[in-house]
Amino acid sequence: MPALSGFLWLISYWLIGEVVIHFTALPISSGVIGMLLLCATLAVRGRVPTSIAAAAQPLIALLAMLIMPGVVGVFFIIGELAGQWTAILIALVLGTLFSVVTTLWLLKRLIGRPNVR
Amino acid sequence: MSADTPLLTLLTTTPLFAVGLTLAAYLLGSALFQRLKRPSWLPAILIAALLLAGALALIGLPYATYQQGATWLTVLLGPATVALGMPLYQQLPRIVELWRPLAICLPIAATLAACYSLAIAWLLGSSDTILASIAAKSVTAPIAIGITEQLGGTVALLLGALLVTGVITIPCVSLAARWLHIDDERLIGFALGLNGHAIGTVRAFEISPTAGAFASLGMSLTGIFTAVLLPLAWRLISMGS
Repeated sequence: MPALSGFLWLISYWLIGEVVIHFTALPISSGVIGMLLLCATLAVRGRVPTSIAAAAQPLIALLAMLIMPGVVGVFFIIGELAGQWTAILIALVLGTLFSVVTTLWLLKRLIGRPNVR
Repeated sequence: MSADTPLLTLLTTTPLFAVGLTLAAYLLGSALFQRLKRPSWLPAILIAALLLAGALALIGLPYATYQQGATWLTVLLGPATVALGMPLYQQLPRIVELWRPLAICLPIAATLAACYSLAIAWLLGSSDTILASIAAKSVTAPIAIGITEQLGGTVALLLGALLVTGVITIPCVSLAARWLHIDDERLIGFALGLNGHAIGTVRAFEISPTAGAFASLGMSLTGIFTAVLLPLAWRLISMGS
């Protein structure tokens, strides 16, 4: 059962993240701490064990489905914000467009060879 | 005697109903997305979320009840976030190659990602609560919820802002990449993750594993950077005004 033991690794790293947050009061989620720890561990070992790959690949593929229950909640608060929605939407859409353009422009300038893959 | 209400109550006593509903909406949404020839302005997750919201409204299941059952799925978000460490490691050489431009770009871009929207919302006269709720709009959900609570915003509104931001990031990135003549998957992935958190990252993995790894990197760095600095900056600005 390689996938199962890989899954246990992922859960353990997440739990370690929780412990780290408990003792350091860092304002970061335990998932992110676990992710960085996993990356560091793999870098030290120099390869990805089959068990971790077997558990991580399907989970990453399911990421979109896992955030769906939270996303659906939006449709149930629309009523509470009557009248404010236009301003919020304009701010989010324009703000995101500006920041995407800035990010890409900045990266292009900094890297300098935009068309090299 | 109506059989409808007791049946729904019976079904929702087990989380399997909510889980099954989510799976069905996800699969149906993905199938529709393929059928529509993968439009970049309508990501699969939005189709699926609309289907799911419609189904909940149709059968009259309160969102809170659904959410309780769906915890069985959302609990997997923790290990799934940890799992992103694997593509991150696999792309490490390519990330190290670019560490300098990424390190310069990240603080500027992550700050602007919050500031542009805040400035526009402020100009349009939004209340302080709304500003506090949308400030973390480009940060991945588990981190963003913590930030929003610290700022005194509404978590439900934050999740709405996250959805809008994530979804709109995808066409914005394709548009901006065309304007700026960028076809480097690393840059596109990084921009998707930095601005569009998990939704952008999911999209980046559809492009290629390289784009996905850069998106995971952009997403996590933005999350960490914003989590540390936004509450601090917020306090300073509030004191000043």
